[in-house]
Amino acid sequence: MSDLTATTVPGARAGLPWGQWWSQLRAIVRLELRKGFRRSFGLLLLALMPPFIAAMHMIKAVRDTSDIAGATQVFAGLIYQAFTLRIVIFLACVLIFGNLIRRETLDRSLHYYFLSPVRRELLVVAKYVTGLIVSFGLFGTTTVLAFVLTYLPYDSTAVSQFLFHGPGLGHLASYLLVTFLACLGYGAVFLFFGFFFKSPAMPALVVFGWEGIHFLLPPLLKEISVIHYLQSLCPVPVSEGPLAMLSDAPAPWVSIVGLCALAVVLVAVSAWKIRRMEITYEEA
Amino acid sequence: MTTDTTASRVHFENVSKFYGDVLGVNRVNLSIPPGITGLVGPNGSGKTTLMNMMVGLIQPSRGRISVLGITPGQPEELFRKVGYASQYDAFPPGLTGYQFIESYLRVHGFSAREAEAMAWKAIERVGLVEPAKRKVAGYSKGMRQRIRLAQALAHEPAVMVLDEPLNGLDPMARAEAIDLFRELADGGLHVIVSSHILHEVDLISDQVVLINGGYIVAEGDIGDVRDEMEEEHPVQVLVRCDRPSLLASKVFEQDHVVEARILDKGQGLLVRTRDADKFHLVLNDIVMETGIAVEAVAPADADVNAVYQYLIGSNGGKL
Ligand SMILES: Nc1ncnc2c1ncn2[C@@H]1O[C@H](COP(=O)(O)OP(=O)(O)O)[C@@H](O)[C@H]1O
Ligand SMILES: [Mg+2]
Repeated sequence: MSDLTATTVPGARAGLPWGQWWSQLRAIVRLELRKGFRRSFGLLLLALMPPFIAAMHMIKAVRDTSDIAGATQVFAGLIYQAFTLRIVIFLACVLIFGNLIRRETLDRSLHYYFLSPVRRELLVVAKYVTGLIVSFGLFGTTTVLAFVLTYLPYDSTAVSQFLFHGPGLGHLASYLLVTFLACLGYGAVFLFFGFFFKSPAMPALVVFGWEGIHFLLPPLLKEISVIHYLQSLCPVPVSEGPLAMLSDAPAPWVSIVGLCALAVVLVAVSAWKIRRMEITYEEA
Repeated sequence: MTTDTTASRVHFENVSKFYGDVLGVNRVNLSIPPGITGLVGPNGSGKTTLMNMMVGLIQPSRGRISVLGITPGQPEELFRKVGYASQYDAFPPGLTGYQFIESYLRVHGFSAREAEAMAWKAIERVGLVEPAKRKVAGYSKGMRQRIRLAQALAHEPAVMVLDEPLNGLDPMARAEAIDLFRELADGGLHVIVSSHILHEVDLISDQVVLINGGYIVAEGDIGDVRDEMEEEHPVQVLVRCDRPSLLASKVFEQDHVVEARILDKGQGLLVRTRDADKFHLVLNDIVMETGIAVEAVAPADADVNAVYQYLIGSNGGKL
């Protein structure tokens, strides 16, 4: 009766069953997307906010439609760094990644995964990948949308000059990279905290505060924050005000490798934690 | 034990589980062969704890467990062989019955086509074809119970672990579920079924494991267990009622009743019987016939007999 099983049992080839893991990962991502994120109004609201701010700025921009440099500063400082990166993407990562495991302990459906022939480590990775797909899908789009809206009211020849013959598209690409790395980094942080705290609110507040006072921190402490590396990858420098502690920005490759390494370590610790996790649903 | 039996049995070796200071189960040794096994005990006796440990949802504080030679720490191997329907009446949100089964089959690693075929086969087995395309959230308790049964058997496991699978089923669905267990067991499977009502599973079980307060009280062939317990220890049943003397005269006509004593203040009757099941049936008849008002029926002993009485008593399950 298990002839169907036999066709998909792993280990036909020697070594690790990568093919099996890959199809399981895809199946988990598919299921997570199916049940988890379809009606997340909170996320949608967050995603709409940066374009909304950009649209508000449009009204102001009408006065001087040739000031592309001014628009670039507004997008870099207010719209992207202050708002999108530090608030919107941050909160979205708390919501998305902080709830990857927690939501399922609350609705008592996590055990269905634990009762499948899936390594728990793979489950964590698959959930993290789902979070990345959702967060980058949403906030990558948001970044592009806000960028487009910011420059929309300006003189079209000046804008196309800026985009196609100037640094414009390069800026956009960098912002997308930063958005992706922000999801990667904050995502890993809140996935990780999900295993140590019952609610993501407390750690989120603490991290938010820490990242918020980042500009006041001495150089050494700056290095233990996510924003430090994200900021260094932003294409347009933004003044942090007179109180800021100046420090050398890390080289781009240091930031990228550093954030990826952080993500790998935190996901690995999460994977190790979930191996010992028990389903009691008691404290939920 | 030989590797031969290890590979075909579910083994508990000196297994204990404590939730902090709370005892879950203590020093459990079991070796469960194929067939239907009834795991019976009152609420809080440790049935779920045992089952959850079997599948690695919780880890034993002490001792070792293996299922067909596989430890619960090896999910990739274990869950190709084991299907578990937990007692949690909860589902991933937003899915239809079909999607629920199909999605987790895909997580197993089955292809889209295999998963579809297997999902429908399982849904058919539990008789839910018609509502399968509806959201699980709108199912009745019995339907939810059956769709979870389908989920547990969809990947065609060799060991089915079912935590209170008859709970919430109407008599018709119950009979169908029992037929299904029988069919699976006759196919060589282990079907381990828990219940807090002995007479719900004793007739269908090839063997029973009685558990109380975290300890295994008895195990083995149901007939043997029952005979042994009843021959050696008639059980006491306390009946609170009016007209206890009338009741006493009636029950004394029964040969399984050893003793019937009217309580001091005349508010009831203490009965010792060798066959509590029969006694409960007879009591029902007497009540129908005489109109005696029975306020409560309860086991009167504090020891193992009381437990057993509780377990086999036809009122035992109604908590
Ligand atoms: N998560 C838990 N935390 C603390 N105690 C628990 C937990 N789960 C079960 N228990 C205790 O363990 C004992 C056995 O419970 P359980 O296995 O659920 O029994 P059953 O399934 O037979 O009703 C009970 O005393 C119960 O209170
Ligand atoms: Mg239980």
